[in-house]
Amino acid sequence: MSSHAGTIDHHHDPSTSTGIPNKKLLMWTFLASDCMFFGALISTHLIYRLHPMPDAPSPKNIFSIELTSFSTFILLMSSLMMALAVTAIQKGNLKSMRWSILTTIFFGSIFLGCQVYEFQEFVEIKKMTITNSMLGTTFFTLTGTHGTHVAIGVLWLILMYVRSFQPPEAGRNAAWFIRHAVHIAVIIGAILLAIFATLALVHTLHTGGSISAYFGGHFAMLAGLLACIAAGIFLARPNGPVNFGEANAIDVESMGLYWHFVDIVWIVIFTAVYLLEYL
Amino acid sequence: MEAILKSDLHAKDAHAPAKSTLFWRPTAQTGLISWLTTVDHKKIGFLYGVFALFFFLVGGFEALLIRLQLMYPNGTVLTAQQYNTMFTMHGTTMIFLAVMPLSAAFFNFIMPLQIGARDVAFPRLNAFSLWTFVAGAIIINLGWFMHDGAPDGGWVGYAPLTSKTFAADHSIDMWVMGLQLLGVASIAASLNFIVTIINLRAPGMTMMRLPVFTWMTLITAFLIVLSFPFITIALVELMMDRLFGTNFFEVSNGGMPILWQHLFWVFGHPEVYILILPAMGIVSEILPTFSRKPLFGYPIVVFSGASIGFLGFSVWSHHMFTTGMGTMATAAFSLATMAIAVPTGVKIFNWIGTLWNGHISMRTPMMFALGFVWMFMIGGFSGVMHSAAPADAQQQDSYFVIAHFHYVLIGGSLFALLAGIHYWFPLMFGRKVSEFWGKLSFWVIFAGFNITFFPMHFLGLNGMPRRTFTYDANLGWNAANFIATIGALILGVGIFIYFAVMVYTFLKGEKVAKDVWDARTLEWSLPNPPPEYNYRVIPTVHARDAYWYNKQHKEEIAREEAEKAKAEAAHGGIHMPHQSIYPFVASLGLLIAAVGIAVIDHDPSPGFWGKKIGVSMIGGVVMLAGIYFWALEGNEGYHLHLDDEGHAPADKNAAKH
Amino acid sequence: MRLSSLLTSTARWGRAGFALGALALLAGCDYNFWRMDGHQSTITVAGPVARSQLEVFYVTCWVTLVIFILVGGVLAYATLKFRAKTEAEEKAIPPEQGHGNPLIELGLIGASVLALVIIAIPTLKGIWYTYDVPEDRKADTYEITATGYQWWFKFEYPSEQIAGSGALTTGNELVIPAGRPVRVNVRAIDVIHSFWVPKLAGKVDMIPNRGNFLWLQADEPGYFWGQCAEYCGDSHAVMRFRVIALSPKDFADWVAQQTSPARNVTPKPGETAKAQFASLRTFKQNESGITDKYDVAPLEAWKAKQFPEKGENAALIAQGKALFVSKTCASCHEVRGHGAAGISGPNLTHIGARSMLAAGLIENNAEQLQRWIHDPGAVKPGNKMAKGYLDNNIKLTPENEVALVAYLQSLK
Repeated sequence: MSSHAGTIDHHHDPSTSTGIPNKKLLMWTFLASDCMFFGALISTHLIYRLHPMPDAPSPKNIFSIELTSFSTFILLMSSLMMALAVTAIQKGNLKSMRWSILTTIFFGSIFLGCQVYEFQEFVEIKKMTITNSMLGTTFFTLTGTHGTHVAIGVLWLILMYVRSFQPPEAGRNAAWFIRHAVHIAVIIGAILLAIFATLALVHTLHTGGSISAYFGGHFAMLAGLLACIAAGIFLARPNGPVNFGEANAIDVESMGLYWHFVDIVWIVIFTAVYLLEYL
Repeated sequence: MEAILKSDLHAKDAHAPAKSTLFWRPTAQTGLISWLTTVDHKKIGFLYGVFALFFFLVGGFEALLIRLQLMYPNGTVLTAQQYNTMFTMHGTTMIFLAVMPLSAAFFNFIMPLQIGARDVAFPRLNAFSLWTFVAGAIIINLGWFMHDGAPDGGWVGYAPLTSKTFAADHSIDMWVMGLQLLGVASIAASLNFIVTIINLRAPGMTMMRLPVFTWMTLITAFLIVLSFPFITIALVELMMDRLFGTNFFEVSNGGMPILWQHLFWVFGHPEVYILILPAMGIVSEILPTFSRKPLFGYPIVVFSGASIGFLGFSVWSHHMFTTGMGTMATAAFSLATMAIAVPTGVKIFNWIGTLWNGHISMRTPMMFALGFVWMFMIGGFSGVMHSAAPADAQQQDSYFVIAHFHYVLIGGSLFALLAGIHYWFPLMFGRKVSEFWGKLSFWVIFAGFNITFFPMHFLGLNGMPRRTFTYDANLGWNAANFIATIGALILGVGIFIYFAVMVYTFLKGEKVAKDVWDARTLEWSLPNPPPEYNYRVIPTVHARDAYWYNKQHKEEIAREEAEKAKAEAAHGGIHMPHQSIYPFVASLGLLIAAVGIAVIDHDPSPGFWGKKIGVSMIGGVVMLAGIYFWALEGNEGYHLHLDDEGHAPADKNAAKH
Repeated sequence: MRLSSLLTSTARWGRAGFALGALALLAGCDYNFWRMDGHQSTITVAGPVARSQLEVFYVTCWVTLVIFILVGGVLAYATLKFRAKTEAEEKAIPPEQGHGNPLIELGLIGASVLALVIIAIPTLKGIWYTYDVPEDRKADTYEITATGYQWWFKFEYPSEQIAGSGALTTGNELVIPAGRPVRVNVRAIDVIHSFWVPKLAGKVDMIPNRGNFLWLQADEPGYFWGQCAEYCGDSHAVMRFRVIALSPKDFADWVAQQTSPARNVTPKPGETAKAQFASLRTFKQNESGITDKYDVAPLEAWKAKQFPEKGENAALIAQGKALFVSKTCASCHEVRGHGAAGISGPNLTHIGARSMLAAGLIENNAEQLQRWIHDPGAVKPGNKMAKGYLDNNIKLTPENEVALVAYLQSLK
């Protein structure tokens, strides 16, 4: 085992034959595999696009390209924030990394919220379900699989964010363990409540309802959201030394690779599924 | 802060397990817990081998029932449905539950030893792969114990025969879920092998010094990583059709069944090479050892393996010559298929070159390896016949194809795997199979195999279609079918002898010293069985056949080792990973979720627990919990300090083998 | 060790002895397995498409055989010649040698490529030839549409239109004109099937939502065996059919007969219904339903089926005709002119003139027909006819069965 005294070279790991850290290589190989997953799904969509049924719905009448362009832009911005988080931790700047990760989580959640809204609109207003047409089948399966990837990415980001508060000797600290679990729960709670509250607000505005009625009808939800945010802020306060730093840059970087990949896949899906219809 | 930062990348010191932690740190070296929590690649490899051989016997039993049914025309051993279940399960079992995991057993056990590593790159991920494989195997075979029965859609599961309309019960659901789990297991294991081979090579072990078996492991792992996604997506689409009523293969809503075939064979053809490349690797180890010569044309053997893997992705449609692809596509796939014969032939030439001018010692592993070369040649030639699309129009889905791929998969893959068991048995268990019984089993297996499958060429040319539970007496198929069944019984006897001798040797066989074959690669430099930490000192590699070189340069190597041992002791001894139960928990969660999805009826009545969604959710939660704890417990380990004789001190925390 | 060396030294002789033993065993069999001249042989072919495919096969066979002999010869020589004879020799290390020779490798690669080119040329020619009817024969081509169902075949003749009823439709027996190219458009409704008549042409799959076709031609009039060649469920093995090639005149006669409505047999006044044969015997599982009648002179046997049988009992036939409707047979089967117009089962308008029943499985005679009607599921596992009336609690008495059999046999 070689010594790691002094600064850490983030692009070379002397304990491996190639100098590439194991985790990074694992992630690259996994992403190659994941490429094939999406390749198969996107091919399925494109093949069926070329062989529509006579009564098939027209995608243009269903898609709302403005909303999807917006969420695509947001996802791209999240990639930027992810890159900032990796750079921050490589410089040992924990605080900056946490802010960047939180922003990435925020943008990722906006993307997921847009997707929930989109799915709901397609099913309830545009009447396209996963069963009633081939377009619905391939569209929901493909974008749903991608959405699942984003959701897993957001979950991973949350875990990494909370992990960055882990005290030294955590393995013997039951109090920390509970705090850790609560921390994760409040962030997930905040995201879910924020998505549903926003969707409810949009619904209220669409249907011409009054804002005061919205606040009255969703009081518990909004209160819960505020409580989660407050708890999140409370749990994120500085609290002694942490067992997370420059040495964990490789973990953040692997996660970043995944996140960038999911974004790139979305660019392909956005082109193949949405933009192609507007050519 | 500085100290904390550093300590994370490093392993925790040797005292860690002694202190109480939130995480269970199992330290059992024997008993059930030690097996469930092991992260040792050798123990995992052994378990892969045990499960694979069990399923190999199950698949063989299914094959015997198939042959008994066809022994005479209008046979009545099985009903039509039982017969269809048998051939479906025979194919699925042999490919996914016998040959692949048996290869994985060697990947696990031998590959890290060959590159001079102490374990794979991600030991817990390795355990997860094993247990997920077991979960998949359980799901696929669950049908035997249930009312719905085992799957009967053929191992290729062509839609729409496997759709809800034509297979309403849960048997196909089990097949779909089981194969998905096996896909997860195979991909996870392969990612691990790729990182291990690329990153954990001992100093001096350059890529072009890797033993050929390790090279073939690497290529196979890449094939798995790149091809399994296609079958997984096909299975996901089928599962969506069956569970949620989507239209992927629903003909009335515009679904195209041909899509299944494309997705399946984009996976399915590389799968053929996934089955045969490890076998070629094993043979490329055995032939040089018993010819007492280095492998002839090493770079070309490696390169041809890689080109087989690469070309393997461009020939899938030769399984679909009869689906009306049109002239251009048929011609293109026909020529690409012929092209793949060239690198395959190159391997055979180089194996012969290895024998040439050698001192061939005809031991049991060598017999199986030579049997492999002969049988694989025959299977390869009938493969060339299939590449000619017009001829294939007559042969496709006939017994000619059955003969072809059994020559490749039994005469090829299986012979090499059986050779590998004999070859590495002394290393794994310190005992050697008796030459007499080994050779006897070889000849019985060899004879039985050829008597079974050679007549099938003639059956196919005489128009007997595969997957048929009965035939009439007037078609000229009686004699060949009868002979094939007799052959299958002989083959069964051969396999029985092989395994009986294996079990006997495991328990009571002749004990042998290390390096019993005077072999060439690094794994033979270890005492048998190899200690938990494999290499006391990570070896330095100076040449292609590393151990052979070491044996020629004993003094130089001894000096080098002593220096390195000192340096390593100064760094805190041998780093060992902790055992962990969480990979097993994660796989258990997957198993529960898969049972929920595949086996339990959708029940619209109120209530949650015990229902499809409830059981699936419980499984999901167990799996997430497993992964979560797995992540939290961290990849710390402990250190072993060995004395000069290589013994661990009598410290209860330090592992003894 | 001594035993083992004995074993290896005798092994070669053992192998030779075994082969001889196997040959002796085979000599006693009715059909030697290397005599590939069965009804579904791809070797004794009867048409240009199958012949072209066979020629490609022979090319691949000879080329690979030559390579096998060469490579196998070298392998065998190397194994025997360089085998260590003594234990000392086993231990000795052979002299240092080259680890490869680029010239030899390149030469062998070149030779393999050359061998493959020899195979590739006829392969490419064959792909284009077998794909579709040659241009100069297109005008003479006869079109057929074949549809696969679980587990039977429907054949439609688009060029033989029947007023008020569309194209001529038959089931499980495809009658074609000999000497003319026949283009078969293959379709499937339920699952994937495959259309294979080995003596006439290689198979082409019948895939739902996909318009495949093949062409074939029978050189001479003849009777050919066909089989579904893609696993399609429970009874895939017994999804068979026949192709009957007729001379132009016979074919014209056959078309004329088939396009006419179902045959009527009018009872004479006072004639009473009476069973013509003994009660149904029990059949074993998978019991063969064929005699050697169609092995000996199949075409003649088939032609004989085209004419009414002697000793028909008109009153019994009339009973059967009524039962065909009342027992709901008519809801799945069509008998044109007799008020039965079901479409989910085979068209039975001229069922009496077919040589086989249950998709080429059992011979079309009174006993086998009754066996089939009595319990279709026992003859052909999982088929719809069993589900259709046995599961719907439609009972047939033995008298009913006999009457139905007489009626169906009369439909020439």
